[in-house]
Amino acid sequence: MAHDLAQNTVDGLMTGSAYAMLALGFTLIFGVMRRLNLSYGPSIMIGAYLGTLVHLQFGMGAAVVALVTVLGAVAAGFYVERLCFAPMRGQAATASMVASFAIWMQLEELATLLLPRHSYPFPALIARPPFEIAGILIRADRLLTLGAAIAAMLALWLLVHRSRFGLALRATARDRATARHLGIDVDRIGLIAFLGASALGGLAGMLVIAADQQITPMFGMWATFKGLVAMMLGGLGSIPGAVIGGLLLGVVEAHGQWFFGPQLRDLLVYALLFLCLVLRAGIGAGVPSAERRI
Amino acid sequence: MLDVRDVVTAYGKIEALKGVTLSVAEGRITCLLGPNGAGKTTLMYSIAGILKPRRGRIALKDREITGRAPDQVVQAGVALVPENRLVFPQMSVRENLTAGAYLRRDRAGIAADMERMFQRFPRLKEREGQLAGTLSGGEQQMLSVARALMSRPRLLLMDEPSLGLAPLVVEEIFRIVTELNRDGTTIFLVEQNAHMALKVAHHFYLMEQGRVSFSGTPGEVEEAEVIQRAYLGSRRAD
Repeated sequence: MAHDLAQNTVDGLMTGSAYAMLALGFTLIFGVMRRLNLSYGPSIMIGAYLGTLVHLQFGMGAAVVALVTVLGAVAAGFYVERLCFAPMRGQAATASMVASFAIWMQLEELATLLLPRHSYPFPALIARPPFEIAGILIRADRLLTLGAAIAAMLALWLLVHRSRFGLALRATARDRATARHLGIDVDRIGLIAFLGASALGGLAGMLVIAADQQITPMFGMWATFKGLVAMMLGGLGSIPGAVIGGLLLGVVEAHGQWFFGPQLRDLLVYALLFLCLVLRAGIGAGVPSAERRI
Repeated sequence: MLDVRDVVTAYGKIEALKGVTLSVAEGRITCLLGPNGAGKTTLMYSIAGILKPRRGRIALKDREITGRAPDQVVQAGVALVPENRLVFPQMSVRENLTAGAYLRRDRAGIAADMERMFQRFPRLKEREGQLAGTLSGGEQQMLSVARALMSRPRLLLMDEPSLGLAPLVVEEIFRIVTELNRDGTTIFLVEQNAHMALKVAHHFYLMEQGRVSFSGTPGEVEEAEVIQRAYLGSRRAD
């Protein structure tokens, strides 16, 4: 029992670190623009399909495939930003969200029409058997995901709180109009944040898909949902919150799956999310959410 | 220094500025008075590039800046101290100042200017690492002024710096305005507090319903007359 709990927790943290990275990307967009990009997952999926394409067509190895996936996600993110966010700046945030939902459908249809098979292979980053530490089984590629998530969080935190760009980002997130008064090009800052988020999402997606070694059109929805739920658990728009939310989601899922099976696992997650929303807290509680932008 | 010619700025169909012409002399304090809704802030925003004029011309030392983006206007040497101060409450005093120097790349110069600001505003130095949201209204106003100065402006636009401040603090703010001007900064000031404004201004304009209705120097007109015109409406025949 104790061993199961420990193994589940470790597994949950590993999976959760991918959720955390997805949530970080969401947070970057939501923190700066106060807008939800529902096409976030599907743009990552497009990147992954491009990665799989160079793998199948040109027999490229994992490194090239990883790079293509991230760049593809950024390109798809750029497309979404130009279409759904750039034309509607300073206007109803709902319009951007609904538009991004439409692009989600468009990207998903595109993937299923161009690549009719349900699943395609994706090369593994590290293909070696799991190793054991103190009786706990650990997969090397999951460990890599965890490391990447921690690195991404630190890098993002440093970028936001210690750089000139980060200062402009926080100024824009907090008060667009005043940021403009000071000569900050808020539209450019928004675009860069958006592309950065897409790159982060692309990296997270690539690590997940490489661990699964396959990609399906369902991945877009999966990534949007996991990232969104993790961000909401963490209390919308905070960097540490996104990471904690992601890890929590992973751990709850792992235990739920083990003890109650896959159906109840998801129910458990939604019950937890419901509880968080009802308590209007999130994990970075105590501060009203508007005060917590990035 | 600043030349505004026949500027029309509109919000949709409503013209807030109906052809404003005025100029701000280099090295002087010029003041813009007028009742609420006269278009004073709209004029400030039009100069700063936040709003695009529909017609007319705005020039800074013969260089046209009409309709330029705010960052280009800041680069040209104009900084705005916005109404209600609008410091970033979740950032430290130091970060707020750094944000004011956003377009500058000279690290050494920025650091030197930061020290200069701390000398001029010792209260800010004491609160250097504190979040700006925890400062008093007067301190926030000083921070807002210092933040604008961090871009090394040739022309400082100040929109109602005395708004909502206690009389003693207002005195201090106006003392700072005079000092800044003495040190060579040209100032264009929008004020509701006509009494204080007329004390420091070299020249003033009166604005009513989107037009300049009167201009003069504080000495040549009775203060009561100006206040009468500014807040009770002019007695023009037209």
